[in-house]
Amino acid sequence: MMKIYIDDREVNVEKGITVFKAAENAGIEIPHLCYHPAFPPEGTCRMCLVEIEGLPKLELACSTQVKDGMKVHTKSEKVVEARKGVLEFLLAEHPLDCPICDQAGDCKLQDYYEEYGLFDNNFSESKDRREKKIRLGKYLIHDNERCVLCRRCVRFLQEVVGTGEMGVFERGADTEVNILDGIQVDNNYSGNLAQLCPVGAITDTDFRFQTRSWFLEKGEAICPLCSRGCNIFIEYHRGFSRFDIPKRVYRISARENAEINSYWICDIGRFGYHSLDENRAEKIIANNNKNIKSYETSLAFFTEKIKQLFYKKETSKITLLLNSFLTNEELFLLKKIFQDDLGIKNIFFIDPSAGEADNILLTSDRTPNKKGAEELGFEITQFELSNLEDETEVLIIFGSYLSEIFSLSDIRAYFDRVPDKFLFTPHMSELDSMVGIMFPTAMTPEKGGSLTNVDGKVQKFSPVLEVPGDGKAEWKILAGLGSKLNINLNYYEDLLSPEEIFRQMQKEIPFFEK
Amino acid sequence: MKEKVLSEHFSIDNFFMLDVYLKHNGYQAVKKALTELNPEKILKEAKAANLRGRGGAGFPAGVKWGFVPQNGDKPKYLCVNADEGEPGTIKDRHIMTHNPHLLLEGIIISAFCVGINTAYIYIRGEYENIALRLETAIDEAFQKGFLGKDILGSGFDLNITVHRGAGAYICGEETALLESLEGKRGNPRLKPPFPASIGLFQCPTVINNVETLSNIPSIILKGAEWFCALGLPTDGGTRIFSVSGMVKNPGIYELPVGTSLKDLIFKYAGGIKEGKKLKAVIPGGMSSPILKADEIDITMDSDALMKADSMLGSGAVIVLDEDTSILEVLKIITKFYSHESCGQCTPCRIGNSWIKKIVTRISRGEGKDGDIDNIIRLALNMLEKTLCPLGDAAAMPILSIVKKFRDEIETSIK
Repeated sequence: MMKIYIDDREVNVEKGITVFKAAENAGIEIPHLCYHPAFPPEGTCRMCLVEIEGLPKLELACSTQVKDGMKVHTKSEKVVEARKGVLEFLLAEHPLDCPICDQAGDCKLQDYYEEYGLFDNNFSESKDRREKKIRLGKYLIHDNERCVLCRRCVRFLQEVVGTGEMGVFERGADTEVNILDGIQVDNNYSGNLAQLCPVGAITDTDFRFQTRSWFLEKGEAICPLCSRGCNIFIEYHRGFSRFDIPKRVYRISARENAEINSYWICDIGRFGYHSLDENRAEKIIANNNKNIKSYETSLAFFTEKIKQLFYKKETSKITLLLNSFLTNEELFLLKKIFQDDLGIKNIFFIDPSAGEADNILLTSDRTPNKKGAEELGFEITQFELSNLEDETEVLIIFGSYLSEIFSLSDIRAYFDRVPDKFLFTPHMSELDSMVGIMFPTAMTPEKGGSLTNVDGKVQKFSPVLEVPGDGKAEWKILAGLGSKLNINLNYYEDLLSPEEIFRQMQKEIPFFEK
Repeated sequence: MKEKVLSEHFSIDNFFMLDVYLKHNGYQAVKKALTELNPEKILKEAKAANLRGRGGAGFPAGVKWGFVPQNGDKPKYLCVNADEGEPGTIKDRHIMTHNPHLLLEGIIISAFCVGINTAYIYIRGEYENIALRLETAIDEAFQKGFLGKDILGSGFDLNITVHRGAGAYICGEETALLESLEGKRGNPRLKPPFPASIGLFQCPTVINNVETLSNIPSIILKGAEWFCALGLPTDGGTRIFSVSGMVKNPGIYELPVGTSLKDLIFKYAGGIKEGKKLKAVIPGGMSSPILKADEIDITMDSDALMKADSMLGSGAVIVLDEDTSILEVLKIITKFYSHESCGQCTPCRIGNSWIKKIVTRISRGEGKDGDIDNIIRLALNMLEKTLCPLGDAAAMPILSIVKKFRDEIETSIK
């Protein structure tokens, strides 16, 4: 450790870190565009110039290492003037199309102008026109007029993905970043370019012109689309009191987690959010039973069916289909109720089929909690229709993946043999008409709980969105079921939240103790 | 007649050929260095000679060599900067054309001194014929055992490769040169680290100008004391001054460091053409601040020119007569730097282009009040704030011209 002074404040810093990092740790913001913590310093935007006593010129905060006793000024007159000068250069040729720019409200150039600029426009020359709509790849559009040449995109593709689809072309004021001849940025990490871009130069086609960033709230969540467990922000629209908006979620962005996903997420996770708002199951569907209308009566009916079989000691006639999207807490309750309390052995998993893994983040397993299910003691047997025994009277299904894997006629043939079928699912599907009751449930960002990623890291999360319609989170349904069955006396009484379920889990399963 | 170190034999026929070169004491310095001296002694001599870099920055060559770490396990490289892009500069081309073996000797001795076994000559793309001549000279030296394995039985190995650039001014900046040599876009690198520790292919690297290295053989043969006595104690030897512009005899003049600028123009280069009056002089290549006619009573050495707020740079003296339009000069300068900016850092990329746009507009007769102040403000915003010296190289001459010839430029605005 050593001592340095930033803006006359004494700061203890580690040896070898940069002035930028030292300031950041001390809560002092230094403006920057090309600097990004994921990459070595580039030193080209020149926004982070600071004054260091004893040195004749201003120095870059992003690349200068601290020295014991160093005295740094980040707000001296010289620094403020230099910063203004650089900002003036950046804005000179910049198109002022903020009103139609996706980045507006979330833009470093806007922020810095407000904070450090506020000068009059001295640029009275004609601006250079450049291409404003270059298709970089399936999800990306590049506007060369807005580009500040921070090269984050180029560096990301070279240093993180290793595909290097983009480069720097021309020089001087004609310099531009672009894709190499005949190449498109179509790797599975392309969406990160739009998030990395400090201005509105690279925008993603999914978000482009959909809404203004200031209408969006950001909620912390875990991506459920593979077993990596990338940390994400769900950016959603709260809506207006007088208008309906067509959807809630507008964008998924990467949330930094050094241990799991660094600053990145893959395109599958970034653009795979539409299912949160599309085709959602919102109301109970009860086929052939007109007395059942509400969620409560449906659950009562469901509970009664199980109870009857339990008292007849015929729980072997129950088959349970789970999936690895369920949280640790939900799987824990399922195990307690169905395996421990009811003694059911016919428990299978029905998950979407595996895909190809890349060596960056995406895993071949496209579910978020297989590891959690294993640690909870489930033997994960992927369900086959032939697993359905002739004597099965009650089939309980979580999720609608069945209809994605098997043909509907095959499903129907097997289903017809089972008198009572209950489906718990967040999405509508063909299965809805084949079961007795369909219970709408929550998707991962709509509930609290935890997921265990491929490396055994348990990550907790809170609900970001509300469950649409009458839907309920599975853990809530299961906690209610447990206490209503009341086989294990009073066990479920206190399990009223994911936190309490997690604490109980920690008591019983050593894996979750840490 | 002043003593010449570099150009003494320029007029001898076929001096570029090894057998002719050998007849004039050729490769004696290499022989002496490799068989009689050791690297420590050579380094001491080079430092004592106060040989300043001839490329532009004027950094003492011996000191530069001393920065290279001597006990690492990485290979070390010598890169010869033969990019000679500074407008007005035509000295290295003459050394390489007429005296290529002198340069090779300098390279061999320097490489031996620093412990380098691979050297590259990075030559500007336009010098195609000179590159061929260098390659021939290298082949000859190989055949005679001055290059290759175990040179003159000393156990020292050296290989030299000629690499042609593609015509970018910025590739004369040492780290951009390294990038280009590595096969990448010629953008300057962020410093530190400096090339002496992390240079070509991430290895310790010495980068010296052609003229700088060509002085080494004479220093080895005649000693540092002799070399200093030729020039100034703090700035030894001679310089090849490239005199261009409105003089009667434009060309190259090898003269002692510290020669009077007045003499250089009026005595050696024959004075101003057609009996016109001198208006101004750009004394050290285009990036050096301009001197007005009444400021040329000055000696041509690094310190004296620094005192006059200019610089010796590459020793290229551009002479402007009374008919020269200073606005036209400014236009050429701003156009050049705007075109040659690599474009990676903000102040240089936009600053140069912005100033160029203003100057071009003024020269179209559309100048406005405040333009000159704006140029000064923009140049100051560029000065000392760019990643590499190109920003300063542009800002300095622009500032000096606009400040010293403000009245003349204003007449174009009114």
